[in-house]
Amino acid sequence: MLVLPLAITWIGAVALALMDGRRTRVGVSAVLCVGASFAATLWLAIDVLTNGPRRSVAGGWEAGVGIVLRADALGVTFAVLSTGVVLVALLFEVLARVRSRSFPALTLFLVTGLNGVFLTGDAFNFYVFFEIAMISAYILTSYGEERRQFRAAAIFAIVNLLGSVLFLISIAALYHITGRLDMEGIASRMATVSGQSAILTSALIFVAFGIKLGLFPFHFWLASVYTGTRPTVAAILSGALANIGSYGLLRFGGEMLPRELDQAAPALFVLGTLSIIYGAIQALSRRSIAEVLAYSSIGQIGYILLALGIGGQAGFAAAILFAIVNSMNKTLLFLSENLRGWLVGATFVIGAFSVTGLPPAAGFIAKASLFRASIEDGNVALVALIFAGGVLSFVYMFQIYQRRFWVVHPDQNAAVVASPIQQRLLMLFIGILVILFGVWPEPLLRLSDRAAAVLTGGST
Amino acid sequence: MTLVLSLGVAVLFGAGAYLLLKQDLVRVVAGMVLISNAANLFIMSAGLSDGSEPIYPLVQGEKVSDPLVQAMTLTAIVISFGVAALLLSIVYRVYLSHRTVDIESLSDEEERLSEAEEIAQPLTAVVPASEE
Repeated sequence: MLVLPLAITWIGAVALALMDGRRTRVGVSAVLCVGASFAATLWLAIDVLTNGPRRSVAGGWEAGVGIVLRADALGVTFAVLSTGVVLVALLFEVLARVRSRSFPALTLFLVTGLNGVFLTGDAFNFYVFFEIAMISAYILTSYGEERRQFRAAAIFAIVNLLGSVLFLISIAALYHITGRLDMEGIASRMATVSGQSAILTSALIFVAFGIKLGLFPFHFWLASVYTGTRPTVAAILSGALANIGSYGLLRFGGEMLPRELDQAAPALFVLGTLSIIYGAIQALSRRSIAEVLAYSSIGQIGYILLALGIGGQAGFAAAILFAIVNSMNKTLLFLSENLRGWLVGATFVIGAFSVTGLPPAAGFIAKASLFRASIEDGNVALVALIFAGGVLSFVYMFQIYQRRFWVVHPDQNAAVVASPIQQRLLMLFIGILVILFGVWPEPLLRLSDRAAAVLTGGST
Repeated sequence: MTLVLSLGVAVLFGAGAYLLLKQDLVRVVAGMVLISNAANLFIMSAGLSDGSEPIYPLVQGEKVSDPLVQAMTLTAIVISFGVAALLLSIVYRVYLSHRTVDIESLSDEEERLSEAEEIAQPLTAVVPASEE
């Protein structure tokens, strides 16, 4: 059962790679495939949340010898989230028209990689699945095949490849100092490993995931990639692929290296603060929606980092909640970016509300839990910073809203071609989902609490 | 042996990092290849503290070398090889569409593009919808 979410998309991807993705039939079957995988992860999630974590060892080996696949509350949360985001983005693209042969197959490979990352219990397999997802993403970035997209793909591939290599080196270092590759084994042996080498390895892991997430000192690639690539791919990159970074920080920091994460808290606060302020100021000064959204992602990652720095049950829960809400926001906003016609303004405004953290939208719940975590931590400066970040994001989100939906260009008045109604309805559906989680947040709060309990050793 | 390997890793990584900072995208890719190979060598050296005998056939009384790092290195080599091919093909497509692989002139175009966007969307053109 654990293998099901992986197997469906993997087999589908291989089959679809042989066919022409521009045909509607191929696109629809890709959507069905990801849909089936989404259903399988959802089923797995419900099973894990009611009956506790599941694990299976490949090839019938005993645990510790064979490679472990495991599903706990944290993993399935991210798996459901990411598969859902990719499903929406793929459906969105198929509803318009797929422009390249390989798009559906690559998306399926991406889902396979993502689900593998979230469901594996083995550090080296984490790297392998991570590479599967990244390689598909490198090629997806060039989707559209114009000059800008190729430029974006080259930047994205080179920078993130460096991140992957650093991650590979840190996995080898972890193996060298602990002698284990399964995550639980590493976690249990890490306590006996002394200072220096553990800190060096943790720093390397942090840098690797930082590059992936686009944190402040490693953000340089993010803006030109998110603006260069097509909106659908930008939604996948920021809504699904960036989850690897937040999940990796939670899994490696929270579970395997808790002592080092504690020691790194001041650094996390500083980098988180810098990310929030830098992202907000850059976003304020940009004119195009894609650029504002790209810099806004840098800022939003800063919040996740702050929550990680706070740590503990409340901090981890806030980080998970923030990652979930941020994915939904970014999917909604990036996909709405180029749509035309009525309803689009409404969905964009819902996304803007959610990014700023204003009440009816889900963003409010995430901000509120972050506030709660920082108050419990007794950190007044953090509360003030989160508030200031919220104000800045309010300004930049509504500045672009104004520019995008209120400006009447003299030449555009005559003929604005509306986008397909199905695409707009899909976006409206996501918007309603964001509102729904905002007014009825209990399931989301419980889910993030359960997922955080995996890391703090609570009952799951 | 450890010293030789660590020197090897250091030289490979250093040379790769140097090439990564070059203007020419092809050199950048070559730098990535060197850095990936430094990582492969590093994984191999992570298992060096054990013995050096092969695990099969097992000789009694001898310390065997760690087979796991070798398996990991094989996987990593395959991945880095595939990725290097992919990177080269992306650079080739960049060359086909831009007729250059020079990073400087590529980023020039990026800047021109964003400036053009700013001119197209001036701040002052905001007209509230109600005033139409």
